Amino acid sequence: MGRRSLVVIIVAVALRLVLFAAFPSLPDLLTNRVEISTPVTSFKRLQEGLFLYTHGVSPYDGGVFHQAPLLLAFFTTLPSSATATNLIYILLDVFSAYALINISTSGISVATSNRKDAQFPPWAVSAAFLFNPFTVATCLARPTIVFTNTVILTAISKAVQGHGAAAVLALAMSAYLSLYPILLLPPMILLSYDGLKVPSGGLGVYAAKMTGVFIAAAAGLLGLSYLITGGSWEFLASTYGVHLLLPDLTPNVGLWWYFFIEMFDSFRNFFLCVFQLHLAVYVGGLCIRLRKQPLFVITTLLGIFSIFKSYPSIGDTALYLSLLALYRHIFPLMRYAFFATSTLLYATLLGPAFYYLWIYAGSGNANFFYAITLVWSLAVTVIVTDALFAVLRDEWETERPEMRGKDVIRI
Amino acid sequence: MAASLSSKTTNLTSPPEIHLEHRRGNTNSSAGSLRSTRILKLLPVLSSFCILVGVVWLLLLPLEDYSRKTYISENALLPGQVHTYFGGSEQNVFRAYRNEVGALGANSSSGGEMARVIGKIFEASGLKVGRQKYSYTAAGEEIHGENVYAVLQAPRGDATEALVLCAGWLNMDGQLNESGVALVLTLARYLKRWSLWSKDIIFLITSDSRAGPQAWVDAYHDLHDPPSVASLPLKSGAIQGVVVVDYPSVRSFESLHIVYDGINGQLPNLDLINTAVRIASGQMGVRTTLQEMWHHNDKYQDRLRTMLRGMVNQGLGHASGPHSSFIPYHIDAITLQAYGEGRHDEVTLGRTVESLFRSLNNLLEHFHQSFFFYLLMANRVFVSIGTYLPSAMLVAVNFTFAAIGLWVESGKKKTKTAPLVAKAEKDDEKEISQRLSEAVPLPTQTSEERPMLLPLAFVIIVHSLGFIPLYIFNQLDEKYLTPVFYAFGALNVLLPPVISTLLALTFTVTTVHFKLIKCFSLLTLGMFLSALATLNFSLSFLIGLFAVPFTFIRPFPEKKWTAGVLSMFLLQGLTPTSALVGVAYYWGEPLGGILKEAAFGWQVWGMWTQVVVWCVWWPAWVTTGVLAAASWNLGNEEVW
Repeated sequence: MGRRSLVVIIVAVALRLVLFAAFPSLPDLLTNRVEISTPVTSFKRLQEGLFLYTHGVSPYDGGVFHQAPLLLAFFTTLPSSATATNLIYILLDVFSAYALINISTSGISVATSNRKDAQFPPWAVSAAFLFNPFTVATCLARPTIVFTNTVILTAISKAVQGHGAAAVLALAMSAYLSLYPILLLPPMILLSYDGLKVPSGGLGVYAAKMTGVFIAAAAGLLGLSYLITGGSWEFLASTYGVHLLLPDLTPNVGLWWYFFIEMFDSFRNFFLCVFQLHLAVYVGGLCIRLRKQPLFVITTLLGIFSIFKSYPSIGDTALYLSLLALYRHIFPLMRYAFFATSTLLYATLLGPAFYYLWIYAGSGNANFFYAITLVWSLAVTVIVTDALFAVLRDEWETERPEMRGKDVIRI
Repeated sequence: MAASLSSKTTNLTSPPEIHLEHRRGNTNSSAGSLRSTRILKLLPVLSSFCILVGVVWLLLLPLEDYSRKTYISENALLPGQVHTYFGGSEQNVFRAYRNEVGALGANSSSGGEMARVIGKIFEASGLKVGRQKYSYTAAGEEIHGENVYAVLQAPRGDATEALVLCAGWLNMDGQLNESGVALVLTLARYLKRWSLWSKDIIFLITSDSRAGPQAWVDAYHDLHDPPSVASLPLKSGAIQGVVVVDYPSVRSFESLHIVYDGINGQLPNLDLINTAVRIASGQMGVRTTLQEMWHHNDKYQDRLRTMLRGMVNQGLGHASGPHSSFIPYHIDAITLQAYGEGRHDEVTLGRTVESLFRSLNNLLEHFHQSFFFYLLMANRVFVSIGTYLPSAMLVAVNFTFAAIGLWVESGKKKTKTAPLVAKAEKDDEKEISQRLSEAVPLPTQTSEERPMLLPLAFVIIVHSLGFIPLYIFNQLDEKYLTPVFYAFGALNVLLPPVISTLLALTFTVTTVHFKLIKCFSLLTLGMFLSALATLNFSLSFLIGLFAVPFTFIRPFPEKKWTAGVLSMFLLQGLTPTSALVGVAYYWGEPLGGILKEAAFGWQVWGMWTQVVVWCVWWPAWVTTGVLAAASWNLGNEEVW
């Protein structure tokens, strides 16, 4: 890690400490924002769960707490002061930044490209993550998505370094925390396979081995949770069941809540299947088409999750954008970057405004906020597809340097 | 390259049309570049067009064809359908109470004597009484007082809903609200006798009209600051509606002035205003007026003036009466002000209030049917949000268009022939052909790398600078406000040239930097204004109008002594500070008074107009000022 990266991290930590210390009401304000805290990540609900857990009541009984049991175990071992919790969240951001620096240093994102010189230096990548307002807001609001994000980034950095087993273990942890990262397993295996210095055996054998490790790790984590919750599988239904079946329709930046409020009950199961399948279908196609760039498959999938998963928050988008910073070299090939960014910023301002009109002023209604979440999702979608286009274009230009800068028309 | 050079020479001599066709036929990409060049040239026109349409749109609203007649949306209200019985001997009671109020005098409220005496009167009527002490500090001045209120428990209700009848002991102008308070006392005694109330009625006498209602409504919702604002000893259900009576004179009045603006420009449901207008003018035969338009002939000009006055009130976001403090809590509230001298006496006002409360009593659910976003132009004419919002949005969107244009422009490759292009400006087609030929070596739209860091950092820093005046003017003592304001105003004049010079000395800034600075600044401005337009239409529109020249002002290195100087002078008229001086002059109020009111609004009412002024408008102005001042810092060879 270079000196500049260190400076960036120190400044970022200082910024967070100052924000925590100077604006004591800010974290609570942000914790209550639906854009940041979802039913499956909210810090408030975590505290509720912790209270029940330490008082010997099953936190999964009531339908309030939907987070993984190991989080409970982790937070009960912490001293129960706000400062300790805040420091943990700051530390998680530092770990994430460290992972990003490692990924960036490895140069994996530009390995297949001709535009290697256009890459961001590692410190800039970490700065893009640490000073992203969405990341900062997420850190201050302390949702448990921060844990998931850190673990995912760690998994990627391990995979890039060729530590397949470690990567898959970390991925199992993130899937354990918030389910959807399970879909990252195929590209993660590819990424760690590519990262191997001496590939032993074929990809098939390697994949089977890693899948085995993943299943074992996941089973271990679930077993541990079983023990923690006093020998009950109750937590499965109120954690993963909630991700899958969407019983809590609290608004968020995603597309599900409004859709399922409006839905007639008889269609609910059908559309739940469709929505969940929709997330899964991208995995195969992207892995095949972008076989040479598994990291970009992971990036794109994270972008897609941040739009289409059942309880997305701006923390998911922050993770996607931070990984996108690794692809600085394709930015000149993106066609709608300015428009998409402007739309994202517009949605960022209008979202809270419309939420205010709906919930507090009472002069708006749910449609106002939903319309803005649509705009938000549209902006992220445009960025995801545009980045995908740019990467394909870059790949093509690398293969056929004579076509560089020429227009292509699809027939 | 050779081909492109030769084509350039032929282009300059050949007729433009033929040349354009030739290019279009040649490659796809140059056609694309041509299109984008044309669009770029159109963007300033489009921006101006948006502004023009936005303003004309607003001016059209008062016309018969664009405005609508008000109507009662909530059928349960049944305004004016009941017979009112207030009168007769109640008038004697009223006079007795008025003597009591007069005897206590205007100064009795802050000490708590008023609350004690009025509390006794309420108790004598058989009502439960509560009192509340409060004190606030704003602009270095302490405001304290004691509110008193009584709750009439609904004979047919379950204490889940309540209505409030309120009178400030002192009205907004600081006069003793002699008849108003007496009327509330009389009505408390009178309404108690009826058995038909299905909602509790709270009779509230606030110590003054500015801080008192805020303290009371905050405490009612447990959102007060306990040591300085006391909790309420007695509460009822969710408040459904509030009517404030403001009647300081002891003589009979001519018309009723309905005040409806809430804090931060939020408005009560239109149904409440409509009900009041119908009851007053239909049932009681009292003329109603809005926005201090005492004589309204319902022609275009008066409608426009009513609308504009409403917009100014809404845009300032201050409290226009005791009712204003209730509105942020999603409680619909109005003030009925007795105006002038005429033939209506307190009994008419009392009957109006009685009938209004009978209507409110009918409400089955919270006001929701009618509009929350509207502009009233006469007491029975309005436009709703769908009709008026486009005007503010068009003004806001012009900044976004300009920003997009600048972004695209800033990405274009600059070549050595740039000054040539500038010379060719007189001949549009020639210029296009020039740019076209430049575009040939660059077949696709792959843009030049933009130096983003400096412009982004600049815009962010200038925006965070806004917190300094925000903090200063909200925290300073009253006696320092005016001198500090003048000092700030003077500093404000110097700030842009100083920043611009510093920028030029520290960094090597080029036109591209300034284009990006302007682009980001306008983008932010457009974004904030369009978000604001949904919350406070008028504020967004007014600031948008002041910011219109920001779209067009840029560094004029080639015309610094004409266009540059002109824009520097023009900018001095567009800063928040000169706007404030203008407002003070227009209203004939001392500057210190307005600044104090703003600080009071921030501390007590939770007004955020200042935030918009200092953190949105002012940074955009500073940025534009820096751009204009950069005319002198950019070399003559630099071309925008």
